[in-house]
Amino acid sequence: MLDTGISPQRSMGRNPRIDLYLDLAQLISGFLLVGFLWTHMVFVATIIIGADTFNSLAQFLDDYYLSYVGIPFIGLVALIHVIVVVRRIPNRYQDYWRHARTIMHFDTWTWIFQVVTALGIAILASIHVFAVIMGWPIDADTSAARMHAFWWFYLVLLILGEYHAGFGIYRQFVKWGWIKRKTIGFALKSITVIIVALGLAALWVFVQLGGALR
Amino acid sequence: MSNRTLTFSVFRYNPATPEIKPCMQSYQLKEAGGMTMFVALTKIREEQDPSLMFDFVCRASICGSCAMLINGKPRLACKTLTRDYGTKITLMPLPVFKLIGDLSVDTGTWFRRLSVKTRAWVHTKKEFDPTVLEERMDNATALEIYEPERCIECGCCIAGCATANIREDFLGAAGLNRVARFMVDPRDERSEQEYFEIVGSDEGVFGCYGLMACEDNCPTKLPLQYQLAFVRRKMAVAGLKR
Amino acid sequence: MSNYQTHITDVLIIGAGLAGERAAIEASSHGLDSIILSLVPPRRSHSTAAQGGMQASLANCAMGKGDSTDIHFADTVKGSDWGCEQDVARLFCETVPIAVRQMAYWGVPWSRVVAGKKTLPNGQEIEDTKDKEGLITGRNFGGTAKWRTCYTADGTGHTMQYTIDSIVISLGITVHDRMEAISLIHDGEKCLGAVARCLRTGKLNVYIAKATVIATGGYGRLYDASTNAIICEGTGMALALDTGQVPLGNMEAVQFHPTGMVPVWILITEGARGDGGYLLDKNQHRFMPDYEPVKKDLASRDVVSRRMIEHFRKGFGVDSPYGPHMWLDIRHLGAKHIDTNLREIANICRNFAGIDPIKDLIPVRPTQHYSMGGVRINSEGFAYGLKGLFAVGEASCWDLHGFNRLGGNSLAETVVMGMIVGKKIAEYALGATLEYTSDVVEDAAKQQQERIDGLISGRHGREDVFQVRREMEETLMDYVGIFRTGPALQTAVDKLQVLHERAQHLGLRSSGVGANPEVTAALRLPGMIRLALCISYGALQRTESRGSHAREDFPKRDDANWLKRTLAYWPEGAVLPELKYEPVTITELPPGDRGYGESSASSKK
Ligand SMILES: Cc1cc2nc3c(=O)[nH]c(=O)nc-3n(C[C@H](O)[C@H](O)[C@H](O)COP(=O)(O)OP(=O)(O)OC[C@H]3O[C@@H](n4cnc5c(N)ncnc54)[C@H](O)[C@@H]3O)c2cc1C
Ligand code: SF4
Ligand code: SF4
Ligand code: FES
Repeated sequence: MLDTGISPQRSMGRNPRIDLYLDLAQLISGFLLVGFLWTHMVFVATIIIGADTFNSLAQFLDDYYLSYVGIPFIGLVALIHVIVVVRRIPNRYQDYWRHARTIMHFDTWTWIFQVVTALGIAILASIHVFAVIMGWPIDADTSAARMHAFWWFYLVLLILGEYHAGFGIYRQFVKWGWIKRKTIGFALKSITVIIVALGLAALWVFVQLGGALR
Repeated sequence: MSNRTLTFSVFRYNPATPEIKPCMQSYQLKEAGGMTMFVALTKIREEQDPSLMFDFVCRASICGSCAMLINGKPRLACKTLTRDYGTKITLMPLPVFKLIGDLSVDTGTWFRRLSVKTRAWVHTKKEFDPTVLEERMDNATALEIYEPERCIECGCCIAGCATANIREDFLGAAGLNRVARFMVDPRDERSEQEYFEIVGSDEGVFGCYGLMACEDNCPTKLPLQYQLAFVRRKMAVAGLKR
Repeated sequence: MSNYQTHITDVLIIGAGLAGERAAIEASSHGLDSIILSLVPPRRSHSTAAQGGMQASLANCAMGKGDSTDIHFADTVKGSDWGCEQDVARLFCETVPIAVRQMAYWGVPWSRVVAGKKTLPNGQEIEDTKDKEGLITGRNFGGTAKWRTCYTADGTGHTMQYTIDSIVISLGITVHDRMEAISLIHDGEKCLGAVARCLRTGKLNVYIAKATVIATGGYGRLYDASTNAIICEGTGMALALDTGQVPLGNMEAVQFHPTGMVPVWILITEGARGDGGYLLDKNQHRFMPDYEPVKKDLASRDVVSRRMIEHFRKGFGVDSPYGPHMWLDIRHLGAKHIDTNLREIANICRNFAGIDPIKDLIPVRPTQHYSMGGVRINSEGFAYGLKGLFAVGEASCWDLHGFNRLGGNSLAETVVMGMIVGKKIAEYALGATLEYTSDVVEDAAKQQQERIDGLISGRHGREDVFQVRREMEETLMDYVGIFRTGPALQTAVDKLQVLHERAQHLGLRSSGVGANPEVTAALRLPGMIRLALCISYGALQRTESRGSHAREDFPKRDDANWLKRTLAYWPEGAVLPELKYEPVTITELPPGDRGYGESSASSKK
């Protein structure tokens, strides 16, 4: 019965710090993605000020090649995020499902939604990026037209993204103990509400704009 | 007081008779005032079915013997009052742990293995000298050690933990909490690197998803989020140092 | 027929509580191989339930200043009502400080002295001095002249057991949990080990050892209302008694704790009164000072319990469906104190009675609590009557407690005995050889298998285990309680004899396969009734009052005739124990007045 507890894989040459690195990679890539998402939303929201502001911002990013560095970089970060996180998805996911169903624990269910929203985001975001690149360069008119036609698509993507990011951050704060549970939950709910509101406002402007231009 | 009749639906399986498949069996019982699951199950065993297996020792939420799934949630049966439930109560053994029979599971062996794996004892090179006074310690430090030491090894945190349900080797909140207890103890001379070897992996603190089912289910109300985060931060620093 | 597994070791320890594990550490550090058996995983042993603390005369805290082993000794002897072995008490008091410090070295987070001025609930000002800061502190407990009860917040037994067990694990000592010893193997002279039944599978196992140690704890559950864990059924004592060779000492000495919570009988620790809580009657009058002007609510347990019953009889009890009770009041200690220092008590009140001790009164009543009696051993731990058999802890009668144990002295006893007796066990085992004939072993195992088969087949009768058991519990509760009389005790003996006969004809209602709990209960019951008979019959014969043994028809202590210890034997086939007596060892303190309790109250009048 007495075993030393050192599992063979670990004693056999595997870097003993790998799990730590992967965990940190998940944390950092997650934060970068959230950072990107929020900057993105702020940029998009400039349309509320006016189509000109929006266009000049897009122009500016284009001129200084920020878009050409930023987009692939974010793509890479997203890829890393996916890779390190995928290892968390139980290979016997039925076990997890069964567990969640018997235990009926709120946070355990949110994790299942995390996986589902991640899948949704991966698909929808790829489509969105593809569409944007096809319609290059970014300007208020084409964006508005796309928005107007596919507003439901963006609504879904927006909600998925906000949800996933909100809970992802919540989870990290809890795990690292930076904020006490319950208070952080409240804080993030408010953040999520703000972001969704901002996003919806942007969407509304797009739709208006798109309609006017038609 | 109460004149409810309770229906208990209880998981039954005796490994000594594998030909009889696992099933749920129903028992009816008249509720009494202040009835706990301990009182109810004892009555069922004595009056209806003496073969029913379950574990109680202290019947006072001190020893950690009696955890089971009560309507799906890991709870100490001895401190669960029937009056907090409807008339239908489902009792299942804890998952993760080896089943001994009916509601009885082998938490003892699991936790002993945990102690061996985490080397959960004070590691010191000093010898005990019976002729001198005890080493001094701040009372605040003593209380800080006592906080995680309060774990009663009931297994509720393990049974409720998604990771522990999926990964057999995961130390769980109880394991990480136990390690935290030794980390804060100045008598334990182990270095951060030594602790890193024990918990600095997915088997330990990096395997934790942070879903906090452990904290929500802990009957001793241990501050598990705090303890897990404490270990995680300490181990991240230790791991990045070298 | 040998379908059992055999294990051979140097030292077999039956019981993984504090006493058993501490003794195992001693044996192991002498290089011996040992196996510990336990009904439950070690950390679930009853020792973990002790919350109050352990006595040691460290003299660190303000109210412990000037304490010494001499004062601890005097408290212990007085507490025992001169029933204890004074050489043992002396050895014990000298060793406890070392034992406490060793526990600190191993990892117990004892509460420490915090320097500064404090005001006690009674208004007294005290000051803990800087020079003692950080040393192990003590709290007040009943029956002691100084504050010397060392504690860890509200979980002393828990931290002690976890710490000792961590050392057992670090030493790699084998523990077989869920393994119940059901008989000792012996050849009439020497103990050779034990037959055990696995509580996982129901299969028999044979353990052969040079030294066998009984560390099985108390027998509280013979009584209907007991603070003890439900596994405290005295099985280890019954094993020794059933050899016919080994006597049990002073079984009539049963301690009642004044504050078991009604109606679940969970203990509200003395710490509650030590910290300033007190008892109230139905008029919410604090009655203890009327009876005990000096020690008040903190007189020794036997005294407080009896005063409560006296007060009930005068009609001052609070009526309830569970009989009369008193109130324990700790509300004035304040929420902060209750939620930190007395957190466990607060939790118990909330979870098991739905009351909040910060606002509400706690219903309490005297409840069976501790067994002073047990396997009689000499001062080195050797059991009377069989070579190679030892006993430690509550299961033993070393005789440190005589007729009343002081609160805090039994946790201390477990580790001190583990040290002292453990060493003797090791010395004995190192000098012994493993000699046994396989016939003896084979017979012992076969006898137990036949008992089990007999139960399953029902060939001896159809008596219901739980029914007979309940009648035994009620008999003890009703007739062998706090106040005893000749006729009541005689009734108890008569009833128990009938029950003992019925217990020979138990039959199962279930199939009995595997780790069947009905078989477990049925195997224990006859031995439990024999213990109950030792208690009642010993009490009937002892025509005096001493410590917790209070005879209404003989209210005075009688040193001329009864300064002696009862030894109960159970020869094979007997229907009553055979009682013998031995003198009590008095080395320093001649019998006198305890300074509290009935005798001193009457001497003042
Ligand atoms: C509620 C409560 C509070 C207490 N508080 C205090 C206090 O504050 N201070 C104090 O000094 N004392 C206190 N006591 C008393 C003290 O806790 C006990 O006397 C002491 O812990 C007994 O220790 P032990 O090792 O002898 O037995 P236990 O801890 O009872 O251990 C007995 C062991 O034997 C095993 N066992 C039993 N029968 C068998 C068998 N047949 N086969 C195999 N294994 C067996 C059990 O599994 C267990 O491991 C308290 C007691 C109670 C009931
Ligand atoms: S927080 Fe970690 S240890 Fe606790 S339940 Fe979740 S995964 Fe398990
Ligand atoms: S941490 Fe809490 S839930 Fe987990 S074993 Fe300990 S007491 Fe039980
Ligand atoms: S029986 Fe001890 S915790 Fe429930």
